[in-house]
Amino acid sequence: MSKTDDGEDGPCRGDEPADEQAQFSALLEDSAEDLYEHAPCGYLSTQLDGRIAKINATLLDWLGHRREDLVGRKHFSDLLTVGGRLYHETHFAPLLRMQGEVNGIALELKAADGTRLPVLITSTVKTGSDGQPLLIRTTVFDARDRRAYEAELLRARREADRERDRLQTLATTLQETLLPPALVDVPGLDVAAHYHIASTDKVGGDFYDLFPLDAGTWGLFLGDVCGKGAAAAAITSLARYTLRAAAVYDPDPVAVLGNLNTVLNHEYNGADPRFCTVVFGLLTPDRGGFRITLASGGHPPALLMRADGTADFLPTPGGQLIGVLPDAHIATTTVHLAPGDTLLLHTDGLTEAHTNATAGSEDRYGDDALLDFGRALAPTTASRTVSAVRDLLDTFGTGVDDDTAVLAVHAPRTPSGEQQ
Amino acid sequence: VTKHLTLHTRTTTAGPVVEIAGDLDYDTAGQVRAALPGLGLRPGQQLVLDLGSLSFCDSSGITVLIAARNHALAAGASIALAAVPDRVGRIFRIVGLEQVFPTHPTAEAAEAAWRPAGG
Repeated sequence: MSKTDDGEDGPCRGDEPADEQAQFSALLEDSAEDLYEHAPCGYLSTQLDGRIAKINATLLDWLGHRREDLVGRKHFSDLLTVGGRLYHETHFAPLLRMQGEVNGIALELKAADGTRLPVLITSTVKTGSDGQPLLIRTTVFDARDRRAYEAELLRARREADRERDRLQTLATTLQETLLPPALVDVPGLDVAAHYHIASTDKVGGDFYDLFPLDAGTWGLFLGDVCGKGAAAAAITSLARYTLRAAAVYDPDPVAVLGNLNTVLNHEYNGADPRFCTVVFGLLTPDRGGFRITLASGGHPPALLMRADGTADFLPTPGGQLIGVLPDAHIATTTVHLAPGDTLLLHTDGLTEAHTNATAGSEDRYGDDALLDFGRALAPTTASRTVSAVRDLLDTFGTGVDDDTAVLAVHAPRTPSGEQQ
Repeated sequence: VTKHLTLHTRTTTAGPVVEIAGDLDYDTAGQVRAALPGLGLRPGQQLVLDLGSLSFCDSSGITVLIAARNHALAAGASIALAAVPDRVGRIFRIVGLEQVFPTHPTAEAAEAAWRPAGG
């Protein structure tokens, strides 16, 4: 039992007669002794080996220990949990030895009844006049309210994370309903498609589909609704179903797009016009490949990559975007997709992508670069084309600020294209 | 690089001229839409959108230009574009809008081309 105060005079002087203390109290309305004992924080003085030399009433009260059970008998680390003791040995004590003080370390103390008390610990080493360390003074702050507050913050943050995940799941699910789950198998045609989502919380407005019409003919379309979010998704859905229904009624591509134009124009006019650009194609088997009639309503031109290694856009000049004008002009072009040829339809998320987003550059990919891309790729296949586009989008990274859809069709050179 | 949109409106004998400067996109298109009712377009007037300082225009920008056209037509007025940048002109050709919006090299040329007869 070392009743050594080791020169520790503390903020007060040891035991003073009660009447003197009362007088002092009366004068200052608070005594240094009383402040030490009943301060709103715990005080603890230990010898250099951690043995407890002095402890205030506040800390004893928090822990439920009696003074005589601790002073001279226990070490500071005995008050810690197992994890806390480990941390004390490996970090806290060495740091204290090295720099003479340690500030605001979060630890847990073990109370007499086994409960745990989250605290913030600050310790300083008191040195004698010769600079030799004498003892360690420690203040202990009750961190229960703070811990509860932190736990509440953490809970609120987890809740926010879950909300965000739910929103993303909803947006992704909605997006998926706007695209065909799988493209139909067209005999003698190699097909591939890709949808790149630029924003995980806003549904984009790109769409595509490939579907059977009358015996031996197939319809395909790819389009882009202006805007983003739920309003655009509603138009996307309307456009997709209108196109499919109209194609069954009259598969002539100009009639199909004319139908969609009428529907959108009637539905949305005035201060909040809604429109889309669409390319619609009718595929008919022809000479080992396909005859494709494309109608365009203001959509960027399709890219034809031929078996001989050449590539060109298939312009449809004069075609007007769908939904704005009561009698939009729809332009058509017809192409023979010979064995070995590949046709790529795309939305302008690809050509409008920033090529060097990280450098903050305003350069966009553009039509010329896409044509060069096609020339470098030809001759190719549908899947090779789509995979090359995906690689290209990857190199743009965050530079792709709009959704991008691509659909490629290819007539293979193998005799499998001959069946009828 | 301008990352916002500024509108500047002045009145001529032919009608209001709105200079649209900056990026016209999803985030800024609403500004133009909101400004339309305050123009006080009268029948026979011509609304001129001066695009000389437009740095970017995406599909939302196109949408609001169409909304401006609808607004002008509903008021019995007409619409014209001035100083259309090459990039925007190219988009207009792709989507087939160059036949829908009369265009002029400058706002002054647009004003000079206006005929009070209206129609």
